[in-house]
Amino acid sequence: MFAYIVKRLLAGLVVLTLVSLSIFLLFWYGPSEPARAMCDSKTSNRCSPEKLEVFTEELGYNNPWASEFGNYVGGIVTGRDITVAGQTTRCEAPCLGLSYSTGKPVWEDMQSRIPATVSIAVGGASLYLLLGVPIGVAASKRRGTVADKTLVSSFLVISSIPYYLFALLVFLYFAVLYELPFVGQPGYTPLTENPAEWFGGLALAWICLGVFGCTAYTRYSRGAMVEALSEDYVRTAKAKGLPQRAVVYKHALRAALVPVVTIFGIDFGTLLAGTIFTEKIFDINGIGLWALNAVGQKDLPIVQATALFAAIALIVSNLVVDLLYSVLDPRVRLS
Amino acid sequence: MSAETAGPETLGHLSEEPKGEDPGSSKARTITGKSPMRIALGRLLRDKIALVCLAVVLFFVFIAIFAGPLQKLFGVTTETAFPTQFLNLDGTPRAEFGPPYGGFTWDHPFGVAPRTATDNLAFWLQGAQNSLQIATTATIVAMLVGVTLGLLGGFLGGIVDRIIGFVTDFFLTLPFILAALTIAPIINERFRDSPNYPTIQVIALIGVLAGFGWMSVARLIRGEVLSLREREFVQAARVMGMPTRRLLLKELLPNLVAPIVVASSLMLPAFVAAEAGLAFLGIGVTTRPSWGQTLNQGIGFFDNYPLYLYQPLIAIVAIVLALNLLGDALRDALDPKTRR
Repeated sequence: MFAYIVKRLLAGLVVLTLVSLSIFLLFWYGPSEPARAMCDSKTSNRCSPEKLEVFTEELGYNNPWASEFGNYVGGIVTGRDITVAGQTTRCEAPCLGLSYSTGKPVWEDMQSRIPATVSIAVGGASLYLLLGVPIGVAASKRRGTVADKTLVSSFLVISSIPYYLFALLVFLYFAVLYELPFVGQPGYTPLTENPAEWFGGLALAWICLGVFGCTAYTRYSRGAMVEALSEDYVRTAKAKGLPQRAVVYKHALRAALVPVVTIFGIDFGTLLAGTIFTEKIFDINGIGLWALNAVGQKDLPIVQATALFAAIALIVSNLVVDLLYSVLDPRVRLS
Repeated sequence: MSAETAGPETLGHLSEEPKGEDPGSSKARTITGKSPMRIALGRLLRDKIALVCLAVVLFFVFIAIFAGPLQKLFGVTTETAFPTQFLNLDGTPRAEFGPPYGGFTWDHPFGVAPRTATDNLAFWLQGAQNSLQIATTATIVAMLVGVTLGLLGGFLGGIVDRIIGFVTDFFLTLPFILAALTIAPIINERFRDSPNYPTIQVIALIGVLAGFGWMSVARLIRGEVLSLREREFVQAARVMGMPTRRLLLKELLPNLVAPIVVASSLMLPAFVAAEAGLAFLGIGVTTRPSWGQTLNQGIGFFDNYPLYLYQPLIAIVAIVLALNLLGDALRDALDPKTRR
């Protein structure tokens, strides 16, 4: 077990290094004049070729990429000083560079955006399970009935509509045209500031994410339950006279949940990596919306930081799922 | 073949004829010896939902191909001189140019857009064209990459398979929207001033879509190849000394047509949705008309001009739903295990 964990952690570290290196190289070789945006913002759009050259030199784009990548990684671990236009800014660890448009360290802004994205992800993902699994279990118990068939086919239709259209319609009808009771104007207020407003502002986004996402979970858990209910051990449990509830929830559901949990872990990671559509439509100031605005301003360090954050969220969630799987499923042998 | 033999006849009988038909009748005899593709086609043609979906898809394909002539036919263009002459002070179109305040006019069958006063029908037609063009090209590219890697990985096995598997898993972990988000500003920075920027943007978009769409195909094909390569006809071809390339193309590929068709018909709607979604976020197509742009513009005017937002929305939902259902129907029709 211990050897397996170490092996998985090492593999995760390798992937993380590879991903961050490829993101770095993309932003190193991608732009033709990487310092242009910084130069434009510092000289109020009067960036001459000579000034551009100064900025290119200052930002280190004339050095070999390997040493600059070392600096970047070093900055993430210990922080570093960045000098731009004669001004030295102390960029504390984890330093992800300076924003081109504001000149402040990227991490300072990022810190204030992360709670919004995490709030959306946690709320939405809990609804995935809270709605999806009970509906799926109920459907599997009534397999083949009209109710089951209606549910399955209507969920299939919902899930084949693109998510952003679903979210857009929910937003337009329930936030713009008719306001729902108990649900405030969508937006983000920090939880520590005003819990009621935090809840009200996010509620619609959660519902939207949850209802759309739960269709998939209904399908998974229904399928897994149908399979589990036909297993021998469930028949045995029934035969020895256990009440129906104990058979369904204690024996069948426990086995059926293992694959669902796996998918949930990966989905949760994807949500953490970016709920861009939700944030854009419900105007919630999280990582996704921040990155989207940065794209408009060509603020490459912010986009780079977002990509890195997303990659870390995904790799860690994959890792956690792998480790959890070996604990949850007794059939997985690690040696 | 006689009507008593089991095998294809049984299949043809079950899928083609109502039960209780006299096996010796002329009808029963004509179905003997049908190819699997003919059987699948027959099943598809009896599936009413599939036919409706096919009609919807063909309608959009027709629009996409003839977007230019159709615009001429209705006398509309996406170019608007002096937008202000069409607009009220708040940016909504004036009553004489159609909704929301006026009625239907032949000059602008779909009305004109708020703020820019672009003709909606012309924009919508071109949006359909761009959407299908991008989605189709991306599907073809993704299929080529996915099928090639799947074939190689599945057939060669060993180290090649492991490398391809690693790359596939690696790409599967990256979220596609973030990749598009990352690449959009870089492309913009590098090619903004180039006269070919619109084309480059579309190519980059196709690259991103295809680059994050091929993995499922590669996995699917690899799995199919793993089971096919142990079959007798492949082994026979190997024993005869057929070169690998020929073996892959002439023996394996024809057996993979069904999964490839199904996978493409399910990938196409995903790409249509993704293209519009990225344009909605402002990181997809920005230099040519796209349905996603209308969606983004329409939010602010939804209060009094909902029709503007519904034009692209209905189109996207219709085509995505139709293609998805058609893909499911195709899968059922092509799968010899489903007998209906």
